[in-house]
Amino acid sequence: MRAVEHVFGLILRLYPSGFRRQYGDEMRSFVQARLGEPRYASPWGALGLVCHLLVDGIAGAVREHLVAFAASPSTTGAIPGRRAPVSHNEPPEELMATLVHDARYAVRTLRRRPAFTIVAAITLALGIGATSAIFGVIDTMLFRPLRYPAPDQIVVVSMTRGGSLREPPAYPDFLDWREQSRSFQSLGVTRSQSLNLTGRETPERLSGNFVSASLLRLLGAEPLAGRLFTFAETEVGTAAPVAVISEGLWRRRFGAEPTIVGSTIVLNGQQFTVVGIVPSTFAFFGGTDVYLPITYYPNNAGLTRKDHSMFVVGRLRPDVTLASADAEMRAIGARLAEQFPSENAGSAAHVESLHTLLVGDVRAPLYIVMGAVTLLLAIACANVANLQLSSAMARRREMSVRSALGAGRWRLARQLLTESVILSALGGLLGVAVAYAGVALLVSIIPIDLTFFSPIRVDGRVMAFAALVSILTGIVFGLAPAIHASRTNLNDALSTRTGGLSARIRGVEMRGVFVIAQLALSIVLLVGAGLLTRTLVKLQQVDLGFDTSNLLTMEFRLPATKYSQPQQVSDFFTRAIAEIRAVPGVRSAALVRAVPLSGNSDARAYAVAGAPEPDKGQAPVLQLNTVSPGYFKTIGLALVTGRDVNEHDDADAPPVVVVNETFARREWPNGSAIGQRIRFVDSDRWLTVVGVARDAKHFGPADQPTPQAYIPFMQMPQIFTSVVVRANRDAIALGPLVREAIWRVDRDQPVWKIRTMDSLVANTLGSKRVLLVLVGVFASVALLLAGVGIFGVMSFAVAQRTHEVGVRMALGASGGEVLRLIVGQGLRLTAFALLIGLAAAAGTTRLMASQLFGVTPSDPVTFALVPIVLCAVAALACYLPARRASRLDPLTALRRE
Amino acid sequence: MRSRELRPADFLPLTPAVLHILLALADGDQHGYAIAQAIEAVTDGTIRMGPGTLYGSIGRMVAGGLIEESSRSRGRSDDDERRRFYRMTALGRRVLESETERLARVVALARAKNVLRRPEPA
Repeated sequence: MRAVEHVFGLILRLYPSGFRRQYGDEMRSFVQARLGEPRYASPWGALGLVCHLLVDGIAGAVREHLVAFAASPSTTGAIPGRRAPVSHNEPPEELMATLVHDARYAVRTLRRRPAFTIVAAITLALGIGATSAIFGVIDTMLFRPLRYPAPDQIVVVSMTRGGSLREPPAYPDFLDWREQSRSFQSLGVTRSQSLNLTGRETPERLSGNFVSASLLRLLGAEPLAGRLFTFAETEVGTAAPVAVISEGLWRRRFGAEPTIVGSTIVLNGQQFTVVGIVPSTFAFFGGTDVYLPITYYPNNAGLTRKDHSMFVVGRLRPDVTLASADAEMRAIGARLAEQFPSENAGSAAHVESLHTLLVGDVRAPLYIVMGAVTLLLAIACANVANLQLSSAMARRREMSVRSALGAGRWRLARQLLTESVILSALGGLLGVAVAYAGVALLVSIIPIDLTFFSPIRVDGRVMAFAALVSILTGIVFGLAPAIHASRTNLNDALSTRTGGLSARIRGVEMRGVFVIAQLALSIVLLVGAGLLTRTLVKLQQVDLGFDTSNLLTMEFRLPATKYSQPQQVSDFFTRAIAEIRAVPGVRSAALVRAVPLSGNSDARAYAVAGAPEPDKGQAPVLQLNTVSPGYFKTIGLALVTGRDVNEHDDADAPPVVVVNETFARREWPNGSAIGQRIRFVDSDRWLTVVGVARDAKHFGPADQPTPQAYIPFMQMPQIFTSVVVRANRDAIALGPLVREAIWRVDRDQPVWKIRTMDSLVANTLGSKRVLLVLVGVFASVALLLAGVGIFGVMSFAVAQRTHEVGVRMALGASGGEVLRLIVGQGLRLTAFALLIGLAAAAGTTRLMASQLFGVTPSDPVTFALVPIVLCAVAALACYLPARRASRLDPLTALRRE
Repeated sequence: MRSRELRPADFLPLTPAVLHILLALADGDQHGYAIAQAIEAVTDGTIRMGPGTLYGSIGRMVAGGLIEESSRSRGRSDDDERRRFYRMTALGRRVLESETERLARVVALARAKNVLRRPEPA
């Protein structure tokens, strides 16, 4: 708070002394009163106040100086009228008058050099705009509250077991937690799952959330029409078939009919009465279409302790801290683990804020991008400083004349600094436009569910940030040319036409330093982009275990009410697969519960026959999938030994299983897996291993080898399944035909997520790719700017040394020798930059280790390639001016002096 | 010498800051911070005056004779003694009236041309 008053003290000094005497004390008291207001209590609030005071204070000071100037003796009384005259008759303070004068002069100078001004302003605009856009995203996601009321109180409660921190709990866990805990105002539960909407023209798959009544209330949902669920409606025993729909679904599907509240809709083959509509401003998990009572969650094991798939959200009591809630839940979780050893052994409960959970994975990439864009901004600054410096040298005569006419050094330096700040302000204005575009672009490419966050946009804070960055950059890139100009030696500059040698050398040296800085910063960015490129290539090179080309996938879920018997499900699947295989263009087709890379999965704890029984909660876990005959052939996953599942493996046949190589190696390292038996720890049925398949990556290329098992779907029919189709060509074109084939079996069955395997592969790389694109673009722009920078310096040096080159050539130096001389000079700069840049890169790339795969932060290939690329660019940038020098006619060159 | 020769019309149109300060002082004498708070309250927070704008305007209004320091100045013990109270002068009140009339004429004109979105309440 003291800091704010201190800043305001500095602002006050900008005012004319008379005004300050008259009102200074009152204004200080005013600011103190403002600081007492609660809205400025937080650090962000105080920062906002400082920005406000800056803008208000500087504008006010300028106005008072102008008024004081107008009211000076020669003008007083001559302008009565609308703006009342002023009483301070002190002579205008010089500072402000000269500032205004400097600004006018600067604007004139910049207008005289439109090319320079445009290039510099665009360079700065890109830097300032990109930095501001990313600041906007980081500010919203990391520092602003989520879009729910009192969001700091909203927490997520999960199970922890072994090394896993966030295991979903089962519904009875939620009930126990709710009953035993004291830390929460309210605990709510939700389970996301798609729903089939039927009974209208076309069946549709909707995004659904099965919730407890408390969930919507604790997140602060306010119905647009109707009401939310009552407590009883979502509890076991008193549940009612009611639904709350989203405003989006209401407008899109039901034509915004107000009568929808109170009418019934058919979801998963069952009638639900719509009791309310929630507005689209309330969003949870990427826009849910329908909320249903948790008790209607359609899963055989749904609400038992075995189904660990719930998401529990709580609202802390205002007087309870996160740590004490966590401690309470840990104790409750440990008690439950003892009470229910078969399901909860080894587990505890853990509380973390929803915000922490959401931003945990994006924090590192966001900071990497912010770091990259800051480097880019620094390079842009160095570039403009270079441009300024070269024009300052060209204007040395102008400066000398002004100096000779009595302008002090400080005055000249301030003139150039004013020009820089005006230039950066122009860049900042354009930068805001860039920031608008940048924010829109970032929001569209960030692979994160943004529904939890406040809308990301260019707001006051982003504007204030852009303004601050503009002023700072103006000072940063303006300082060097200003200092340089202030050192101009009067005699040097005026004595010879081309200017004195010492000033010239100092200028070239200073520009050399800027070029080295630019090149070094570019190296850091290039190394970062190189490491991410290598990561992406490594990820793409990973053998997924199956063939991804021309593979089409889609999903559907049979309504449990209509397909309540396992036999009905099996029959549907058998008929559907026959219809799909008959579609022209389909080479082969099969069903699988969870397509690799689709995000669906199932895991089970298992035991092996003949091995000692594992302790409760310590049993090894495998990835489980159910497949139809022909799955391995369709997806191109090779069987190492044994056989595929076939049509005879039905409900009446002995249960069989196909395992993967990792499974076989782990459990039977010394013998054949075929004929061995395993069972799931929650079942007594023994399954006989009939085949061993290669490992398939299930979540993404970075998966560790995991035991996997495949069970014939007729021995474990489940209502959710996916279709995989190997097409002769152009897989996606088959989508509608395959869907028609399924509709020939059941007209009311929605089919969704019609995607090719190639798009699934691209999805798993999505966030890495976005990061690479951003850093890569920044690195390319940086390289371009650095190349332009070194080109500019070398061109200038060649122009300055025309006379010297002429003398050398007259004395017998060949064009080749001159070329080597100039290029050599440029490459010396580059070598310096390489040393500094590579050292800096080695120090900073460790920060991005979490985003790399298959390469170390000090990857030798990247660190070897980047210098080559940079040297090539630098050599080209030096060669062009050097060639001009080597072709000089010595006579012409000498005559120019 | 100056202000007495000026007629209210010479001040028109008023800047928004001056207009709002005069309106705030129409309720009685106020110190600077209270004026800013009153303005923020009546404009639903859309006009938040900083010290520069506020005291710049106050300075010119004092000089123009629209307001003056009130006799309550530096008075009460519970107040920050640096605070001065301001009061509208007779000229200030006439200027405020003229400006309000001028604005009323503008509104009437706009209404006659059907530019106002909402009709006049009965």
